[in-house]
Amino acid sequence: MASAFTRSTLGVASRVLPNRAQGWLVRSLCQPLISQLCGQLTDQFLGMLLGGMELAFALSRDYRRNIQGFRATFVYTTRDGSVARSAVFDNGKMRVHRGTLPSWQVRITFRDAPALKAFLLSDEPDSLDSILADTVETEGNLNYVYRIGFLARDLARRLGVL
Amino acid sequence: MSSVTIDDLSLQHVKLPPPLAALREAYFQAVPEVCPERAALITKFSLEAGLFQRDRIAVLEKARLYRRVLENRLPVVWHTRAHRRTPEGMEEFAFEDTSPFAGSTTTRFKGVPLYPEFLALGLWPELWTISRRKANPYYLSEADARTLNFEVFPHWMEHNITELARARGTDQDRERLRLLQKLLFFVASKPNCISHTIPDFSRAVREGLRAVIEDAQARKDLAGDAARKDFYQGLVEVLEGLIAYARSLAAAAASRAAREADPARKAALEEIARIYLRLPEQPAETFREGLTTIWLCWIAVHLENPDVGLSLGRLDQVLYDLYRRDVEAGRLSVEAAVELLGYLWLKIGDHVPSVPNAGEQLFGGTGSNQAITIGGVDGEGRDAVNDLTYIMLRATELMLLRDPNLNARYHPEVHSDAYLRRLCQANLNTGATPALHNDRAVIRALAASGHTLAQARDYGLIGCVEPGSNGRFYGHSGAILVNLPAALELALFNGRHRRFGRDALISFETGDPASLASFAQFKEAVRRQALWVLGEAIALNDWFGRIHQQFYPTPILSALFEGPMEKGQDVIEGGACLNASGIAVIGLADVADSLTAIETLVYQEGRIEFAGFLDALRHNYEGYEWLLTRLRDPQRTPRFGNDHPQADANAVWLIRMLDEAVKGRLNYRGGRYRVGYWTMTNHAGFGRLMGATPNGRKAGENFSSGLTPCSGVTPFLIPALRSVAKLPPEAITNGMALNLKFTPEEGDRDRMLESFAAAVKGYFEAADGQSAGGMEIQFNVTSHRRFLAALEAPSQFEQLLVRVSGYTAYFKDLNPQMQQEIIERTEYRLSTGEAVSYEPVPLAKGASHG
Repeated sequence: MASAFTRSTLGVASRVLPNRAQGWLVRSLCQPLISQLCGQLTDQFLGMLLGGMELAFALSRDYRRNIQGFRATFVYTTRDGSVARSAVFDNGKMRVHRGTLPSWQVRITFRDAPALKAFLLSDEPDSLDSILADTVETEGNLNYVYRIGFLARDLARRLGVL
Repeated sequence: MSSVTIDDLSLQHVKLPPPLAALREAYFQAVPEVCPERAALITKFSLEAGLFQRDRIAVLEKARLYRRVLENRLPVVWHTRAHRRTPEGMEEFAFEDTSPFAGSTTTRFKGVPLYPEFLALGLWPELWTISRRKANPYYLSEADARTLNFEVFPHWMEHNITELARARGTDQDRERLRLLQKLLFFVASKPNCISHTIPDFSRAVREGLRAVIEDAQARKDLAGDAARKDFYQGLVEVLEGLIAYARSLAAAAASRAAREADPARKAALEEIARIYLRLPEQPAETFREGLTTIWLCWIAVHLENPDVGLSLGRLDQVLYDLYRRDVEAGRLSVEAAVELLGYLWLKIGDHVPSVPNAGEQLFGGTGSNQAITIGGVDGEGRDAVNDLTYIMLRATELMLLRDPNLNARYHPEVHSDAYLRRLCQANLNTGATPALHNDRAVIRALAASGHTLAQARDYGLIGCVEPGSNGRFYGHSGAILVNLPAALELALFNGRHRRFGRDALISFETGDPASLASFAQFKEAVRRQALWVLGEAIALNDWFGRIHQQFYPTPILSALFEGPMEKGQDVIEGGACLNASGIAVIGLADVADSLTAIETLVYQEGRIEFAGFLDALRHNYEGYEWLLTRLRDPQRTPRFGNDHPQADANAVWLIRMLDEAVKGRLNYRGGRYRVGYWTMTNHAGFGRLMGATPNGRKAGENFSSGLTPCSGVTPFLIPALRSVAKLPPEAITNGMALNLKFTPEEGDRDRMLESFAAAVKGYFEAADGQSAGGMEIQFNVTSHRRFLAALEAPSQFEQLLVRVSGYTAYFKDLNPQMQQEIIERTEYRLSTGEAVSYEPVPLAKGASHG
């Protein structure tokens, strides 16, 4: 959901700043996400997580390497539809959209923010528990779920919260 | 020379030589390390050959791929370093390898090989954290994590077996896949492997691989069609690759010998170089060489086939002639043979299956389940026990490893009491191994499922406890795991499952049980729902099987198997002499007891209406404590395992019903479906998912393991054994596990051994009109106090070996549910045959019931 101006600015920073500075900038810009990961989760969590990933991909060459050649659309939604986002990966770029796109590789339906965090970012990822507790449901190719799980955790690691 | 020349069958005087003991100690210290070598080489060469663009991968393409991998593997002669856990994390440590067997399944001392063609991508989310996860962590370096993230996993996102199948299936196939992913009804294991078989090593040992290559080339020249010519050429490619790998190990050993200053180590390396230059290409001439050929073939088999249930078969038979020749020539002593086997056992355990964190909850603590079979009868039904049988037992006692999983065959009409006593003694000494199999019952079971008598007599055990003819039976014995209580659930709730609510019809309606007029009508509903679950699982298995045929031909296994050479056909296409697919049923005793409870309380006594019973289940027996008390009292409600005709008849009915349901079905290779009753850790995993059942089991509690009666309701050993011995072997063709727990009795060990052997003998000999005696039995002989201590301080019990339900595991590696299940199994005091009762054990912290 980053604006074209923001993306463009981050793209410049991505070209001129050394890796270390990019990492520092990612951590600084992702403070709201870090707060969510370390404290009380709110309904804003999904938006912040995807926004943080989008920002980090735009800014960090090293993080961006994870999605070179990767093309996929993920749709995230709460069961009641109150929160809905789509993430589109297209060969080194990530764009986040409000709402659900009609075509996707994976759809993840979750009960609430804690359920999504437990599914994607827990230190002891327990997808079985999530499925058993009926808190998260996935549709589509599970390998994409594994990959987005890695990307989220890789970001958390860069933010120092994994 | 008699086959048994050892005077003291216990071989107590044989101890581990210090270098082997030190290597074993290093093995226990080492944590498994994820090894990307196989995955990276397979990916690289698949890319280069354009295999990701294929709609089908031919056997010759696959064979050339494996040849390149074998030619390019790092030749590791001796390992020098591994990683161990410390309170601060993982640390590297050094040790001195002294193994006479060079090479390894991965490049690591204790490695986790990855098979991205199957489920390896499940580790992707854990790449940064797997080294510190609570349950069975693996060491993974940052560099290796990057290799997997950038160079391996991305290429397989659409190309593992599951996704290849999803993309090519019909809507109905995908619907079945969704049913599988609900995890409540069945597990189909083809997305993870086929494996589960025993290769034929005898030809490689006896003739050498050059002879097999020449045979394949000659048949290729005579073959009339291109497919067969390609198949034979594929065999040549993989065997040349294996010979090249052995030569690279020989070169590495020679190079290392040239640099070695220590004369003894230099000589050892030179001997490895000499042997590996000749083997496995040429026939093995000594016992050590025979073991070397088997080891090298074993490495190659694991390159191709995931490390799940691949088994080594009757090694005491395959190697006996070489052993005897060495002994007669004065080249080999019993002590040296035990030492060689100890080293081989360590090699066999050099890899651990990759299990993601979520999988740890269902399969936690499992090794590769590499079964070895000893004893039994020969093709003519004569005693085949020999010196090596006892030497392998001794090596197992001394090494006390999870892998290999030792299984011993005993025939009540053929074998001596001394042999049986020795098998029981080994169980007392190890606490958990070997599992014991009754030849009379197993041979009858195999003969009923398509084996000739000679083939049946030459059976080995696969994975956990599944029997199949040695080197000629491709049976994927673990193809499907069925949660039988889920079928009961569908019958109880008219085609629905409580977890998915009243609106979600899962299967089809068989009627509200409250409206069924008789117990027979309810049993019919159970039968129809069970058939539905089995039918869905079988259809899914066949669909995955066809995907394996299109994308995963197996030339290495085919080169080491009886049948493919003669038929000119890969084992995946039906090339083996004998084909099958195996089903393991979970929760048999719980369902049998549930049927008996309904029959007794609802239909015979009218003590409760069916609708009331269902209400009790929905409320997890809260408010129905009287019912729970009644159900858990075997004196008032018959339970399987008390030699009670009604309860046992329901168990027999279920077993015959399930066998009838599948035995006419042919799989995608033209083989039969077979049903067995061994549960690994799935009785705990499935138990966690299921609500209360009519036998008094509350929601989330474990189901009974294998064919073991439910815990806590069989107060006496002998009736428990009689009930299980009644079950018809011809309907249990995929094996069974009866798990018993005995209290180690201090003091008079000889008396305990006598009671132990008498109990087993009575169980195996309890033949009547329909039974041939109990089929299988396995034990835990560890005190309750010791288990509790191991829960408190796992690090002090690193080597505590237990029988799960089929395989052996280290107690500390099991998930909390499984640890609890083992502790709460009915425990008998052999001196009295009575069950010992203990206070219930709470689940370890962090464990949860569903």
